[in-house]
Amino acid sequence: MIPALAQSSVLAAQTAFPILPALIITPLLSAVAILLVPSHRQSEVRLVALAGSTITGAMAVWMMAAFDKTEAGFQFVVNEPWLTSMGLNWHFAVDGISLFMIVLTGILFPIAILAAVPQHDSKAYHAWIMVLMAGSMGVFMALDLLLFFVFFEVVLIPMYFLIGGWGHGRRIYAALKFFIYTMAGSALMLVGIVSLAFLTASRTGNALTFDVTQLAEAQALGTTAQRLIFLTFALAFAVKVPIFPLHTWLPDAHTEAPTAGSVILAGVMLKLGTYGYIRFGVYLFPQAAYDLAWIFLTLGVVGILYAAVVATMQKDLKRLVAYSSVAHLGFIVLGIFTLNTQGLTGSVFQMVAHGVSTGALFIMVGWVYERRHTRQIAELGGLQKPAPIFAAAFTLVMLSSIGLPGLNGFTGEFLILLGGFQAARWWTVFAVLGVILAALYLLWAYQRVFHGTPTGDNIDMPELKASEGLVLLPLLVLIVFMGVYPKPMLERIEPSIERLVAHVEANVDGFIEPGPVQVPERPSDAVTLTEALEEAEKKAAREEGEVEDSVDEEGREASLAEGETTK
Amino acid sequence: MNLGSGALGEIASRAVSDYSNFLREYLIVGLFGVLAFATVATFIGLARVFRPDRPTAAKIENYESGVDPVGDGWSQSQIRYYIFALLFVMFDVEAVFIFPWAVGLEQFGVFGLVEMVIFIFILALGLAYAWRKGVLRWV
Amino acid sequence: MFAYAASLLAQVTLEPFNRPAIDWHAVAPELVLLAAGALITIIDLVGLERVRKLMPTLTSFAFLAALIPVLTLWSQEDELPRSLFDGAYVVDRYSLVLKGLFLLTGYVIALLSTNYMSEGDYYDSEFYQLIAASILGMLVMSSSRDLISIFVALELISIPAYLMAAWRKRDLRSNEAGLKYMLMGVFASAILLYGMSLLYGLAGSTKLVDIAAALSIGESKPLITLAIVFSVIGFGFKVSAVPFHTWAPDTYEGAPTPLTAFLAVASKAAGFVALMNVVIVAFPGQSDVVEPLMAVLAGVTMTVGNLIALRQTNLVRMLAYSGVAQAGYIMAPLAVYGTNVDRVPSAMVTYLVIYAAMNLGAFAVVIIAARKTGSAEISSYGGMFGYAPGLTLAMTMFLFSLAGIPPAGGWWAKFELFRVLTDGNRYLGIMLAIVLAVNSVIAAVYYLNITRQMWFLPTPDGDTSRIVTPPALQVALALTLLVTIVSGILPGLVSDISGSLQLALP
Repeated sequence: MIPALAQSSVLAAQTAFPILPALIITPLLSAVAILLVPSHRQSEVRLVALAGSTITGAMAVWMMAAFDKTEAGFQFVVNEPWLTSMGLNWHFAVDGISLFMIVLTGILFPIAILAAVPQHDSKAYHAWIMVLMAGSMGVFMALDLLLFFVFFEVVLIPMYFLIGGWGHGRRIYAALKFFIYTMAGSALMLVGIVSLAFLTASRTGNALTFDVTQLAEAQALGTTAQRLIFLTFALAFAVKVPIFPLHTWLPDAHTEAPTAGSVILAGVMLKLGTYGYIRFGVYLFPQAAYDLAWIFLTLGVVGILYAAVVATMQKDLKRLVAYSSVAHLGFIVLGIFTLNTQGLTGSVFQMVAHGVSTGALFIMVGWVYERRHTRQIAELGGLQKPAPIFAAAFTLVMLSSIGLPGLNGFTGEFLILLGGFQAARWWTVFAVLGVILAALYLLWAYQRVFHGTPTGDNIDMPELKASEGLVLLPLLVLIVFMGVYPKPMLERIEPSIERLVAHVEANVDGFIEPGPVQVPERPSDAVTLTEALEEAEKKAAREEGEVEDSVDEEGREASLAEGETTK
Repeated sequence: MNLGSGALGEIASRAVSDYSNFLREYLIVGLFGVLAFATVATFIGLARVFRPDRPTAAKIENYESGVDPVGDGWSQSQIRYYIFALLFVMFDVEAVFIFPWAVGLEQFGVFGLVEMVIFIFILALGLAYAWRKGVLRWV
Repeated sequence: MFAYAASLLAQVTLEPFNRPAIDWHAVAPELVLLAAGALITIIDLVGLERVRKLMPTLTSFAFLAALIPVLTLWSQEDELPRSLFDGAYVVDRYSLVLKGLFLLTGYVIALLSTNYMSEGDYYDSEFYQLIAASILGMLVMSSSRDLISIFVALELISIPAYLMAAWRKRDLRSNEAGLKYMLMGVFASAILLYGMSLLYGLAGSTKLVDIAAALSIGESKPLITLAIVFSVIGFGFKVSAVPFHTWAPDTYEGAPTPLTAFLAVASKAAGFVALMNVVIVAFPGQSDVVEPLMAVLAGVTMTVGNLIALRQTNLVRMLAYSGVAQAGYIMAPLAVYGTNVDRVPSAMVTYLVIYAAMNLGAFAVVIIAARKTGSAEISSYGGMFGYAPGLTLAMTMFLFSLAGIPPAGGWWAKFELFRVLTDGNRYLGIMLAIVLAVNSVIAAVYYLNITRQMWFLPTPDGDTSRIVTPPALQVALALTLLVTIVSGILPGLVSDISGSLQLALP
């Protein structure tokens, strides 16, 4: 499939153990094992779930270590025939984009299991979580469109039952809303998938295939067809992300879900949408993604600002965190549709960062609820006095969510904004306001919940237990590590992103990725001859492509302006 | 169909040209129905205009020239008659099949004989069923 | 004059009779089932009450026995298609798959009926004989390529079903079910006959291929249109397409539940088989008439069925309306058969196979649950997960399958439909695919409502004693669940059987 891969002996050694299928099968087997445990031995159920998810997580981390960071293409490829007459394959592989999604899944699940104990039906609860883990793993590594579709739908089922069965308040309403919204998107996506495969097969004359890499290389669709099919995919992902105005299921689902559900929903499942945009939206339909980028840039920015404003108004702490997720994912969408290396890399990084910090936030909000039996901000207050360590941990997580430099939220947002300024300046200008608003609503919430003098039950707020601290510790370490030393992640993400951007450049007329940011104070005489020549070439190429290029005005103006300063 | 530029306009024009003939033909179906109703209405109407209309008490009797009706018009028959009627129909149909078969029996030969035996066997099974389950008993 | 008449008669009688060569192997499934049915009747007549308990077992064996020649015919694949009676009766892979489907459906129905019939105050021996007769009609239908044999098959399927719908004869609703079904069925037959007589008038032959040839000359288009519309409407009643669906909910609710399953799966499938045979073989050149008719029928059927199903509070009624909607899905490929005729039979048969498994499974759960709750109201399923987790899980699987959510088999069935609808790249097909996609979301709402009851809500009467599932129902449940799951995870197995089916022309 990928010639470079077959040649590399290192990778051949890697593929000896089919790690990717193992990542799906292990949680599935643990789900079966959980069902076999007699139902009166609840603690052992928990142990099995924990063991299964930890082993899976460990394998994911091991895979990250074995990942060849010099290789931009897909690794650990497993490609077995599934239904040859239809061109369906069990095609699993990871690259720099999906690698960290899988690692994130592997890390968040054991923590989510540890962080909260279900009130009832421990067996079913843990079995669903393990099925969810298998589905989440599968969805990030599937490279066959139908296989992806199957996993994309499969993750709905356990989440539906987790929210509906073990949630709070209006859990059933929230579960149904979540399911129907997502299903509405994905039903149309199935039409899109089938249309894409058949149109491509009939245009190219090749055998029918649902393989993502082959379809991406073929690029056989006409403009309108590509746009329509892209929109069917985009709608499914937009619901999942969620992009404003399709976000209304999210506050309900997040708020009513049990803690583990919220953690996984925010940490893993929302990423399905943004990951889908990168892997399927941009990769399969570069032209359509480029032409229609303005829609998503606009919706992304609207989402950032709208969610920030709404979050400020929330009375419920968990709902506030949920809206902050909408805002953060707006940033990620913005980064994706800049279609340049910085923006996309930032988005992938931010996906992981958001998973870690929002996961931690949900866990801590869950603990607040466990202790105080309320999430209403008005009923909390002064918690810092009785529980200083708890408050300190919360501060760290919250600051990372705000995007404080040195913590993980900063790196991703910074890269996204950097990419955004080159490609979509005005959108980015408004997006920056979102960073300020994030500081506003999170700090204000923190002030109301933790500062002041505790009253009533708040006086007896229990301190963070050692066991809880241990659960939280990996996330806190990651928050700091990713903020201080993002290089190991970035250098694995970037080659794949560059490959993707090259793919977009090759398939979109008149699109050239803007060069790296020019530092303004740099004197123009310091520019080398080669750089000047490159710049001139790029400018010429841009002018050639001017007829097609009607959308990305700002981006081009930006780079043109840079070109002038260079001269 | 090409989803290329201006696809919707193309689709619309094609849809109209493809199916307008077809829709026109439905008009004929409609005319057919109108005609059917009109014919019946005409005949009944004409008859009403031309026929003499002199009702007498004897004429509106159920059986104008027969015995005088006794009792209510709405009377129920015994359900048992239906079963016998059904069994009768069964063998009536059997006879309908057997007569033409008998005419050509020489030609059909053994094959025809076997076929008819199977046919009668299946019907006889029905009769045996009715007999065994007590349908033939008049209770 | 007498001499002339005599000479005429002489001509008639002198025409030599040629015994038709009969391929006994090809009709073996029908013959085996007929013989087994007759045998069961004789055993019943001899044994009466003493053999009553044996009836379901014997009928199951009859279906399995008839399956053997289907398999042997399948194994001699290079001799297919076999054509009998001058092309009026064709045995090809398409008809063999359907015969297998009908026989297995009959087997599952017999399993579903076992406890239901023996525990109530019913005439149960006759019930099984009627089921066998109806299934026999379906076997004939799969191979029929002639108007007369199609009509005879249709009546053989329907008349036993009319009787069985009224089987709970002390229940007024069952009487209503039987009467409504019969009146509507007879009405449909009359319309169908009218259409068929027009077709015969146009073609001078009852064989579908001859009709196709005669229609392709294209004379008197209005009459052709009329004939086609009447035939399609006739079958529309059988498959409960909107607006000919009005009998379905009342009949489904009033009839004994195993029979409801039978009507919803086998009888409906047989209607589609008839529709496929007639449309694909007899109207190949008439797609300009049939396609828009089918597209409108399919679109309206799925939408109306789903919208009404949303408001149902009785599970059987809900399944009835969901069956109406599913009929709309299954019909959809016929809206593009003009350009895509190679794919239409495969898509429809695949859907029918998976639909049979998941719908029979859902009815099996309804029957099992009713043994405890005595009700088919959706609210009576509340909290079932608490006391019957296995049953709840199975039902969840069936419902997700019906909603078309992986990994249960329904998604593959839907995928096949999308495949055939979008492949020709035609406006009509793509529009219908989108309507179908939207509809599957509407449908998900009411399927999920059942899972909501079973998993999240409390038990209404607080009775959480265990549900006892008798062995026959266990087998039925296991069988349908297996097919539902396997067809979703390894769709290759289904498509090996039902993929690339063609209606062989004689």
